[in-house]
Amino acid sequence: MPLRFRETIPLPREVGVSRLQAVGSPTSRLPKALWLAGLALAMALPAPGLHAAAEKLSKDEIRSAVITPDVTIPTPGEFFAAIDKTGQPNWKQMFAPKPAEATASRDQMALMLGLLVADGYIAVEAQDGQGVKNVGKDIINLAKKLNVSQSVLGRGNSISDFAENNDWSALREELEATQNEVKLSMVEQKDNDLVILVSIGAWIRGTQVASAFVEKAYTPELAGLLRQPAIVEYLLGEVDRLPEKLRAEPLIIELRTKLAAILPLVETPKRAPLTPEAVAELSATMSSLVGAITAGSKDL
Amino acid sequence: MKTALALILAGGIVAAQEVAPPAETITPRSRALELAGAFANEGYKIRDGFWSGSLEPGKPLVLQVNLFSGNEYWFSAATLAPAGMLRIGVFDENGLPVQGEDFQDGGTAAAGVIAGASGKYFVRLELAGGDKAEFCLVYSYK
Repeated sequence: MPLRFRETIPLPREVGVSRLQAVGSPTSRLPKALWLAGLALAMALPAPGLHAAAEKLSKDEIRSAVITPDVTIPTPGEFFAAIDKTGQPNWKQMFAPKPAEATASRDQMALMLGLLVADGYIAVEAQDGQGVKNVGKDIINLAKKLNVSQSVLGRGNSISDFAENNDWSALREELEATQNEVKLSMVEQKDNDLVILVSIGAWIRGTQVASAFVEKAYTPELAGLLRQPAIVEYLLGEVDRLPEKLRAEPLIIELRTKLAAILPLVETPKRAPLTPEAVAELSATMSSLVGAITAGSKDL
Repeated sequence: MKTALALILAGGIVAAQEVAPPAETITPRSRALELAGAFANEGYKIRDGFWSGSLEPGKPLVLQVNLFSGNEYWFSAATLAPAGMLRIGVFDENGLPVQGEDFQDGGTAAAGVIAGASGKYFVRLELAGGDKAEFCLVYSYK
């Protein structure tokens, strides 16, 4: 099914506003009195319940479904949460960020930035505070090179503070907020083409780590988590929409070729899990892509 | 379960009202986050990304999402429409409704599901009655 992107309409005053700015402080430190008040209010609220049997979506509704990357593409954190429920990964062992070599290529830097965001999530899973801080610094340094640092400098400080306090839940949200802030800055400075590359970089690193773990500890349940054909189709479509000049870059050619190569691996019929062979091939392809993204540029 | 969920929502909403922004800064997004914040106490992490736009009564909009097997999700949406009733439904890749829990209160609504299989899902937003309204949807997971 051809995937279509329909632009979402950002609400003017809300663009670039973080979750906490939008709603105030989180509800995680509720005083007991408020819960008692909540008890009283619960009686007055319409009660939540099981979904009533709804009609099936029409083919037209499915065809016209909106895809908006900031919501449709899951964060590495969601991926890892699912893995945690099914397997017992040693995140400390898996947190091994690959140092990126110097490059002058902005598209490569955007992909690297995505890798770093995913590394941040891995460090959070590993509960490695220093690791998260290091990743945060690397994100800011790369953002400086991409001239999008002003808006994310504050985020870097927040990441450091949350890491200091071992606030892993807040860190997951802050990492995604940082990524979105960077993307917004890219849009503001007319670097729209780089935005999708950040998302792709994060997805690649998340999938690399997840597939490497599943390869070692294969179960059908774990392998089922790697079944993501809709995402790969969408990312391929977005790569095809990049300007011709960018698509001619060797790294982007390699990216497109490898995304196309993994599509049949992750597109299993009837939601069946990937086979062990498919997982191994996916893992090798993702590792090779991470290697290509972090390799230095010949331009320097 | 039903009572527990009602308490979560009520507690969260009361708390959010304690720290609610001034009326002039209330937006569909702030209302959606206010609702989603109620689930944060249960360990749900709220995605920073959001989906927003305009919703017309009787003209539902559908969003494609990608869920992971075993994860629990809440989709929370809001409008500022005074008269319209917002509804949310979650559907699998074949367009079949996914059973779960839901919450509805005028211009706010939420649907909670546990993904049975990884892959593509759809979230349908519908406004019943009232006028065309701006909406915002956020989701949380654990």
